Amino acid sequence: MQKEITTEEIQAVFPKVAQIIADALGCDIDQVKPEVPLIEGLDAESIDFLDLIFRLERAFGVKIPRGKIVEDARGDLAEADFEQKGAVTEIGLKRLKEFLSEVPADRFKTPMKAADIPKLFTPETFCKVVIRAQRAQAAA
Amino acid sequence: MAERFRAFSFVDRITELDPGVRAVGRYAIPVPVGRFPASLVAESVGQLAAWASMAKLEFRRRPVAGLAGQVDFLAAASPGETLDLEVHINTCDDDAVAYGGSASIGGERIVVLADCVGPMLPIEEFDDPAALRRDLETLLGPGAPAGRFSGVAARATNILDRIPGERVRAELRVPGSAPFFGDHFPRRPVFPGTLLLDSQIELALALARELPAFAGRSLVPACVRDVKIRAFTPPGQVLELRVEVLEADADRATLSLAARGNGKPVSTGRVEIVSGRAG
Repeated sequence: MQKEITTEEIQAVFPKVAQIIADALGCDIDQVKPEVPLIEGLDAESIDFLDLIFRLERAFGVKIPRGKIVEDARGDLAEADFEQKGAVTEIGLKRLKEFLSEVPADRFKTPMKAADIPKLFTPETFCKVVIRAQRAQAAA
Repeated sequence: MAERFRAFSFVDRITELDPGVRAVGRYAIPVPVGRFPASLVAESVGQLAAWASMAKLEFRRRPVAGLAGQVDFLAAASPGETLDLEVHINTCDDDAVAYGGSASIGGERIVVLADCVGPMLPIEEFDDPAALRRDLETLLGPGAPAGRFSGVAARATNILDRIPGERVRAELRVPGSAPFFGDHFPRRPVFPGTLLLDSQIELALALARELPAFAGRSLVPACVRDVKIRAFTPPGQVLELRVEVLEADADRATLSLAARGNGKPVSTGRVEIVSGRAG
């Protein structure tokens, strides 16, 4: 199990991540609060997530495979245990809540469609993506 | 279909191909087309990247639309000239291809693409994979017949409202049918983002000409940045285009480009316009 990500680590990368999100979405940086849902709060679409990942890779000099957030949330859980017929399983949802600890509990719906997982993502989610990628790079 | 591999195909030959890594090719701009805008030169580079990525993924998926971080327009291309194309693929997987590349004429680079990303979608939705494989064989072998592209009819934009030198809002009526829809794409017609971009650049040039600092000077697009296609545009859709001057000095103006269709964002981006020689 990886060491938990600290508030200080998130605060250290947040300004740069927020600027990248503002650039990718074409919005004002003041709108990019750590907890704002990117899809419902800032009108992000799937192409924006792709854009965001590539921009973060370039800005932080890290490698972030696409689909990494869900893959990391799943961890050692088999795909069939995490998701069945497009819906996140009970144990999958528990994993997701732990992994996306920055997301308020009331935003996790039951049942939750796997395709709706990106609706949970916030700027803080992407701060954590960057920090994990930095750690992975440092460990390599 | 008669238009397939003709009406919107801008690679004639592929002379080097390392699937998912790099490709080199060329395209001869047919003389009768009259005009071959910078955005179509960029399209030809993007199409070479599409071949290199489709070959890598064994024609299961293809890039459609996407985003261009930066495209520099260094010189114009004219009908009758041959573009030497090259692309380097940074990453290519089932989700996306990331690439850069350039088009050159006579050894001089005229258009350079950087930080471009194409989302990869299931190929069967857009075209017949077997036909695409055959087309790639043609491109790698004898090459496609010259002169396939016969130009694109001018797309009229109707100005809805404007503040001279500041911003303009216009309507672009995408044709309900056009030869390019048969090639882009054979199974699912989509209005090419590069034709949309061409209309947007034309509006931006007209707006920039109204800036006092640019009066009487000829203007050219220097580059586009952060162009992002957010939605597919089907035949017959009416798009609302907005172009706004963000900043301008004596030599350069930056303008924002936005298109909406059915009340939703279709594309966003920015263009830089520079003054060329005295007009």
